Amino acid sequence: MNRSRVGMSRSAGSDTRAAYLFILPPIIGFSVFVAYPLVRSFYLALTKYNGLTDPVFVGLDNFRRLFTVDPAFWPSLKATGYLVVLYVPLSLGLGLALAMFCNQRFAGVRIVRTLAYLPVVLPAIATITLWKFILNPQVGLANTILAKLHLPTSSWLQSPSMSMPSIVIVMLWGVGGTMIIFLAALQAVPTELYEAAKVDGAGPYSVFFRITLPMISPIMLLQVILQTTAALQTFNQPKILTGGGPGFSTNVLMLSIYNNGFSNLGRIPQLGYASAQVWVLFILIIAVIALTAKFSSLWTYSDNTPD
Amino acid sequence: MKKHIIGTSLACAGLLTATAACSGSDSGSKSDGPVTVTVMTWESAQTNAAIDKALAGFKDDKITVKRVDTPSGGYGDKLASLTQAKKLPDLFWCGNDTEQQYTAQGLTVDWAKRITDGDGDFKAGNFVGSAMENWKTGDGQMGGLPSLMNTYGIWYSVDAFKAAGIPEPKAGWTWDEMYSAASKLANKGGAKYGLVADNLTSADAPFSMSMYSVSAGGAPFTDNVNHPTKAEADDKYVEGVTKLAAAIKSGSVAPPGYDASNVQALFSAGKVPMMVGGQWLAAGFQTDKPKIKYGFAPFPQVNTPTTLYDSVGICTPKYTANEDATYKVLQYLNTKVWDAVLPASPVAPPAYTPAQASYFDALTKAGQTTVVDTVKADLSAEKTVGVRFTTTWASQVADLTTAWYQPILSGKKPISDLQTYVGKINDLIKSAG
Repeated sequence: MNRSRVGMSRSAGSDTRAAYLFILPPIIGFSVFVAYPLVRSFYLALTKYNGLTDPVFVGLDNFRRLFTVDPAFWPSLKATGYLVVLYVPLSLGLGLALAMFCNQRFAGVRIVRTLAYLPVVLPAIATITLWKFILNPQVGLANTILAKLHLPTSSWLQSPSMSMPSIVIVMLWGVGGTMIIFLAALQAVPTELYEAAKVDGAGPYSVFFRITLPMISPIMLLQVILQTTAALQTFNQPKILTGGGPGFSTNVLMLSIYNNGFSNLGRIPQLGYASAQVWVLFILIIAVIALTAKFSSLWTYSDNTPD
Repeated sequence: MKKHIIGTSLACAGLLTATAACSGSDSGSKSDGPVTVTVMTWESAQTNAAIDKALAGFKDDKITVKRVDTPSGGYGDKLASLTQAKKLPDLFWCGNDTEQQYTAQGLTVDWAKRITDGDGDFKAGNFVGSAMENWKTGDGQMGGLPSLMNTYGIWYSVDAFKAAGIPEPKAGWTWDEMYSAASKLANKGGAKYGLVADNLTSADAPFSMSMYSVSAGGAPFTDNVNHPTKAEADDKYVEGVTKLAAAIKSGSVAPPGYDASNVQALFSAGKVPMMVGGQWLAAGFQTDKPKIKYGFAPFPQVNTPTTLYDSVGICTPKYTANEDATYKVLQYLNTKVWDAVLPASPVAPPAYTPAQASYFDALTKAGQTTVVDTVKADLSAEKTVGVRFTTTWASQVADLTTAWYQPILSGKKPISDLQTYVGKINDLIKSAG
């Protein structure tokens, strides 16, 4: 009996050691690539640091400059907020609509799905550059087509009011990514529910709002969080298409951080200041996710709810 | 096994020591042994090939010159990462602002004494005076030497001017004449604006406008772009801004925010009849042959000829392995290499004046006579103004310009806000000490 206990204890000990060994790589990865940079960036946010000379501690001065002096900060925050408000609902709506369309049975549905997803696998920089040509107000394809159809043309990326909507249009080009997740969610909805609804005489409107939407609501929550986080960190499109302009109209936070941290051609970077901006963005993302999660119970359906 | 590990460790330590010894961290040392001097440029593959060919002519038994390949498009990022890693090549292409900022941080070798006391022809007096002056820091250091001059002017379509019945721009023309021409050229022949003037509407715009005020006898926007003590917008300056804002409002000049990245292609296609640009566009036009007949005129003036000055150059990090060898290669680059490179690609006149002949000869041979005349006029202009602050806080001025100056030009803020804008820059100058 005793021998058996000792044997079990030894076995449990070696299991524990093995378990620790298994979780060690992610712990090391998290410490090196997440925890340390997080702590280090917070420290740098409190310093004047250019990456060339030693950091000089300046307390909250970077944050003071950010909130009270920097003429670019509030417009950047506004541009970021505008992008999120514009992009997230459109991306979710369009993604879901496409997914529902691709969830039908018709000849060539696989080709449609592939075509819808294709922009996601194309190199982002190449497609964004292509869009820059399309949206050129003078010689671009968009205005050429509009003019041929006798419709009003636009200055697109060069207009302060149209620049952000233009960027959102370009971002929606990659909506296939959202679609594919929704499609998977739609295909996981049990068909019996639809059959029962059909028997009960439910119309398409009722089926969508009373069955489909509640059943995919956990995935919708995931999508809201993913898309919002991605929108808050948008960089490629404004960097390539507008450089943040005209004015500050598309100068989103990520671009502003990049410009301060990795400044133009040979200028001394402001890494301390950029770190302060990073922390503002980080807190913003956490706040948005926390709020979304807090109110998610109001609109998400979970079959784990106790009876 | 243990022995094996110890052996490997010792080998690694030895290798690391050797690598450290080779990395040239012994700042400014003078070694008698063979030395490799590395060079990094931002030039195109074609120009780099011409530079390589010219560098092959550098003969010194103890010095090997090696050009480091880098994508010209990502030069800024490459420079930033090499700087932070303390791995900059011995000689790297740099702008005036990079040189000023790096030197202020103590990152570069000071060539001031060598070039002032230089032997033979390679001395300060043989460089363009304004460039040499601008490459000195407040305490007289020179972290690099200017290599090529940038001059600016107005590129115009001869065809568009003829079609509109307007006389072609020439030295001595006025700002009013330029705006009048722009209004007549706008919305004609596929062109939307009569003038695309990025230098007058971008982040550097407030400095370019100094050309107007100085030419009219007023004050420049700032007293010094390297170590400014103040910014100002006097009556003449305000007058210049008012005229530009009116031209933008009328739709004859492209507003701030106009994407100028493909303006050169539009100009070549005849869709932009007049644009502000640098002389370097001539090299591209020589290769790509625009559809239109074109010319290059100096900036307009009010009374006195006034133009923008700017130059690029070659910098050296403090930790270059052998200063003497690096300086020899630097001298060769400035005195010999341009002679080989510029005939094929006449991008800019060298700052070292004896080397300018090959540049002007190449342009003359290509029939670009208006470019020759304008560049010569610019280099000898009575008054010059700097293109932008070169200080470490210059990017903050750019943000203020976006927030204040550009909306003034677009008519979204009143001209009177110019003084508020200037006040904010003065606050910045004061806080930077």
